[in-house]
Amino acid sequence: MRVLFWAELFKLCKQRRTYYALGAILIMEIIILFSAYYQGRSFIDLLLTNFKETFYFEGNLLNGNLLVYVILNTLWFHLPLLLMIIISGLLTAEYKDGTLQTIFLQPVQKLKFIAAKYLAAILFTLVSVVFLMITAFGLSYAIFGQGDLIVYLDTLNFYEPDDAFRRLVWAFFSGSVTMVFYAVASLTMAICFKDATITWIVAAFFLIVSSLLIRIDYGDSLFGEILYAKLGESWQYFFHFEIPWRQIIFNNGLLIVYSMVIMALGMFIFTKKDIS
Amino acid sequence: MIISGKNLSKRYGGLKAVEDVNIQCNSGTVTGLLGTNGAGKSTLFKLLLGLVKPDEGSVFINSIRPKPIGGIIEKPCLYSYLNARENLYLFSKIQGAPTSKKVIDGLLEKVGLPLDRKDPVKNYSMGMQQRLGIAIALINQPEGLILDEPFSGLDPIGVENLRELILELAKKDGIAVLIASHNVEELQKCCNFLYVIQNGTIIKSDTTENLISQHTTKYYIVGKSLMASPVLKSYNPKHQGSSVEIECGTADIGKVLQALTAQGVTINSCTPKIDLHKLFQQTEL
Repeated sequence: MRVLFWAELFKLCKQRRTYYALGAILIMEIIILFSAYYQGRSFIDLLLTNFKETFYFEGNLLNGNLLVYVILNTLWFHLPLLLMIIISGLLTAEYKDGTLQTIFLQPVQKLKFIAAKYLAAILFTLVSVVFLMITAFGLSYAIFGQGDLIVYLDTLNFYEPDDAFRRLVWAFFSGSVTMVFYAVASLTMAICFKDATITWIVAAFFLIVSSLLIRIDYGDSLFGEILYAKLGESWQYFFHFEIPWRQIIFNNGLLIVYSMVIMALGMFIFTKKDIS
Repeated sequence: MIISGKNLSKRYGGLKAVEDVNIQCNSGTVTGLLGTNGAGKSTLFKLLLGLVKPDEGSVFINSIRPKPIGGIIEKPCLYSYLNARENLYLFSKIQGAPTSKKVIDGLLEKVGLPLDRKDPVKNYSMGMQQRLGIAIALINQPEGLILDEPFSGLDPIGVENLRELILELAKKDGIAVLIASHNVEELQKCCNFLYVIQNGTIIKSDTTENLISQHTTKYYIVGKSLMASPVLKSYNPKHQGSSVEIECGTADIGKVLQALTAQGVTINSCTPKIDLHKLFQQTEL
């Protein structure tokens, strides 16, 4: 199992598309930052349109913390899409190139192999989120400096730089659970569909449906509380004035359970299928 | 006997890919599986290699080695972005086989691949990829080797080199080699025993010598002054340049060649032509 996990990491590190994915994350961040830099204050005006008439704002609101928050918001759709493409490719490419067949012509157990694939997918996802976090903070602080974070979630909240930094870091950690869920789901899709293009279409469809489900207001219904798409939004709770830790832990815990169920389902299907 | 399949059957939906097949391969011998495209060769090999589960029947592997059988199905499937050494290292590592430089060099040398190439295998010729595929199949010293269409896509020199390698593995290392091909000429050059598969069923099996002789109905003879020779007239000769095709079985060819030699005809080559329609025609086993 350990050597199979090592082999998966070895393959990931040797493939160009891994670096393309990380490069794509970086480019998206740079585009957001450039757009903010050139649009200057109009960028923040856009965020505060409704409040300008009532409140007077002073200080540098267009700062690194706000930009990290903007990047965070923007990439929660783009990042899972990118991750789903890369991670499903870990398996669909092996089906397409026939290397899966070569693997199982060696004395390798199917269950251990696919478990190693899932572990590698999870690790790659976490590395991508950490990469996003480091580059987002690094670039944003370098270009825009630090300052108070202004966030509108039902009410307008201001957070001091240290507090903002802490909340943003927690948001990344919480968001990584959501990313792992999508990564695991995409690998299970790859097991089911085998073909790269079909898997990508299904993964994109799944992501679009998920983003639509998030927008629906389910009120206080149980369905709304346990729906995976809603659980994946838990990182937003870190920008409420009082952080609802219990809710965050429950949501992320349930999302981890969902990820494990999807992973177990994928492993079961993979072990039952012929290699052809 | 190293590899043996008994009463193997596999269906895909309503299609019978393999039907009640019995096949075996002994150590130190090369056994051929001859069949047209879609005859069921690859499915049968996937069954023998455990990639596909049979609907009926069973596979017996008489070996206690960690990897009893190595194989290639249809084409060598390699990690194209890795070089040969990295491919061997990766496939060795995942099965707990030795990965030292000496061992990897040994595998490369065994299949005749250069030790100093560091570029990805996507740059390799088909022949080199076949060789690397065999090297991967040989990791962990299996007692059997199953090769599906190993000669396809190779140039004549590549075919000859690969044939020599296969024969060497069987003779020197005592490996049981099972080869599938639609190319009867290639199989007859290296196989001790042949199975003929058609529509998923083994329709014939015998020693290569017997099977070839039973289905040889014509010969190509290349030589000088063949057109003038009266010996060939009774064998319905068809002249094509310096060669002639005659209708003649294995029982008579010796006499024909003796008579031609006695007449002073110089014979450069004599190649049997197998009646493929007859060969792939089902008869009682």
